[in-house]
Amino acid sequence: MAALRKADLARMAWRSTLLQATWNYERQQGLGWAWSLGPALERVYPDEALRRARLVEHTAYFNTQPTMASLVLGAVAGMEEERAETGAPDAAAVARIKNVLGSTLAALGDRLFWFSLRPFAACLGILGALTGGWPGAAALWLCYNVVHQTVRFMGVGWGYRAGPGVLGESTRGRFQALIRWFSAAGAALVGAVAAMFLVPRGDPAPLVFQAALAAGLTLGLIAARRSRPSPTEYGLGLCILCVIAVWFRG
Amino acid sequence: MIGPLLTTIAMGGVAALDATPVAQTLLSQPLVTGTLLGFVWGDMPTALRTAVVLQIFAASTQPVGARTPEDYAVGGVVGVGLALALSAPQSFEFARQSAILVGVTGGMLTALLGVRATRWQRGYNEALGRWCEERLRAGASRALAQAHGAGIALTFALGVVMTAAALGLGLWACSDLVVRESLRLSRAWRLAEPLLLGVGLAQILHLFVQRRLLRAALFGAALIGTWLVLMLGGR
Repeated sequence: MAALRKADLARMAWRSTLLQATWNYERQQGLGWAWSLGPALERVYPDEALRRARLVEHTAYFNTQPTMASLVLGAVAGMEEERAETGAPDAAAVARIKNVLGSTLAALGDRLFWFSLRPFAACLGILGALTGGWPGAAALWLCYNVVHQTVRFMGVGWGYRAGPGVLGESTRGRFQALIRWFSAAGAALVGAVAAMFLVPRGDPAPLVFQAALAAGLTLGLIAARRSRPSPTEYGLGLCILCVIAVWFRG
Repeated sequence: MIGPLLTTIAMGGVAALDATPVAQTLLSQPLVTGTLLGFVWGDMPTALRTAVVLQIFAASTQPVGARTPEDYAVGGVVGVGLALALSAPQSFEFARQSAILVGVTGGMLTALLGVRATRWQRGYNEALGRWCEERLRAGASRALAQAHGAGIALTFALGVVMTAAALGLGLWACSDLVVRESLRLSRAWRLAEPLLLGVGLAQILHLFVQRRLLRAALFGAALIGTWLVLMLGGR
């Protein structure tokens, strides 16, 4: 049996970019997970029939935040390496640890990437677009990808070295510090963006615009307390209402 | 106009790929695709004004767990593409504003309808998953690669078809309307734009604040501080 090499971990990280290519309600990321783990299984199971059997085991249900999946991939690759050498842990233990790590990292990853970093990057991009035009899009893309690609490509190595204990106190603490920082900075950015709308290019916006923006903010804060209707449904409703209001006013 | 239209349709496919199946780099966000379309159509102000509104709504739409989120990847491309295509032959500002209103509405509607398309595709992927497992058990080692290829090709095709259909329908239904009713529509946009910006920003603020007083204070301080700087700097 051969030990995993850095090149195998790098191939796993590259393949993890397709983790969600076949996302479905039954197995969720299951197929993508097996595809991403493939390079590790190829290395540690030289026997093709055994490798295929392991691959089939890994097509079962799996779901986590896609960027954080790298950490689980590294940890499970290490477990498969040990399993190929000693026969333990068994398939059930690997599946259990994979799912526990997956759901714990999903909770952390959702807060970091979907609730903090992505809206933060969006606000930074909007601020950039309002002040400088096209560089706003570049700012959004770069800001998100510095963190996203670092975790995606380094995460497999972190998971492999730390094993099932990858989500220890220090890693969790670092991710939570990032969440706190992005949330605080994001709240400040929303304030700056709102001010940019109120005073575009140094001149105050018309009073109607300012009043409507304040009304929208109030409505939005009330709407945010409920999951339905969604913000998009609110937005569409407002567009239609404004057209109707103007139409009948003549 | 054919060249930029075809590029817009292709961008719908690329954005659909980036949103979920490939890499998730945020290339699919309305501000990024909108800026690229601004270069393609040579009208950055219209592209950015449409993209900023759609981006604010996209940022507050979360793809968490098994929830099927609104498809702002295709919605963003359709919204900005529609606004640019409708405003391209227009030279007056109010005609451009009415094109932006149609673009934003079309983008949001496409994003909402995209939920159904995504659900259909995920259902199809279930069959793909079962087929793949069967083939793997039968000894076909390449089944995983083939399933991934099929998933990616289907997403791209769906993105292209949805973008083409929504753009075609929007241009067919609204080209005359934007010219005939541009005054009314531009007035509606002047009312809708701040309302939409407010509702969208409130959703993002809610995500950040999470009932933390310090973060709410940071929002207030940044709002007042930036407002003062802009007001004093403008004089």
